[in-house]
Amino acid sequence: MPDFGQIQVGAGSLDARLVLGLGAALFILGTIGVLIRRNPLVILVCIELMLNAVNLTLITFAAQLRNIEGQLFALMTMTVAAAEAVVGLAILVDIFRVRDVDDVDELSELKG
Amino acid sequence: MIVPQIVFWIMAVIAVLGGIGVIASRQPVRSVLSLVAVMLALSVIFLELSAQFVFAVQVIVYAGAVMVLFLFVVALLGPIRERATGRLRFPWWLGTLVALVFGGFLYSMLNGLRFRAPDKVDMSFFGTVQQIGAGLFTTYLYPFELTSLLLLVAAVGAIYLSRGGRTASEIHREEEDRRA
Repeated sequence: MPDFGQIQVGAGSLDARLVLGLGAALFILGTIGVLIRRNPLVILVCIELMLNAVNLTLITFAAQLRNIEGQLFALMTMTVAAAEAVVGLAILVDIFRVRDVDDVDELSELKG
Repeated sequence: MIVPQIVFWIMAVIAVLGGIGVIASRQPVRSVLSLVAVMLALSVIFLELSAQFVFAVQVIVYAGAVMVLFLFVVALLGPIRERATGRLRFPWWLGTLVALVFGGFLYSMLNGLRFRAPDKVDMSFFGTVQQIGAGLFTTYLYPFELTSLLLLVAAVGAIYLSRGGRTASEIHREEEDRRA
């Protein structure tokens, strides 16, 4: 791993590798959740976890390079995540109104 | 000064434990509440990384609004028992192969990275609402306006999807009528 530099935090500093590693760990946890969980609602929650991990990485690079664009991108990601959550939950509620789903693999009507 | 490291480690441990809680708990409500814990821990780390505005947005919009929406849906749908199935749709060695190839690509890419020196900026101004606003309304004005369009489309779509449609019992009755 290359040196990602130190981030100035107040009077002290923080190794950027630690924060990036935390972001990677959370992203991997979210990926595992999407792959192993069956409940569609929990899969949406895991996607939110992955988006948060990406936000952490963006903000880490913004702080490390002293460049505000990373924070602007993180705000955009939050907006898109909110829109995605709203539409995803609405679809989920619509599906559950018709029938109970305890496994996302049951929702395969569009397969043809 | 060791304080930033201590705060970071505490919050990192909370975030990782919350992430494990998201994927390990059997009840959806526990997953959602674990995600709230992750988001609050991450918001403290955002504050450490001098992202004050993003910290506020994370607490208010994400942990406050989006997660409450998730909790409402959990309460609306009721408890969903998840069947514990261990089946995979593809052979295990294929997954291992893809993970190894992807990891190799990632490692080689990270090794090729060289970091430039940080920009010279006034740290008392960095990450403030003024700077975020100046960025959003000058350089990134069009993406910002497109974001408002996206939110409008999402709101209209959610209302359209969740308007009073046919319930399960109504569909059942219609099928009975058709059969009769």
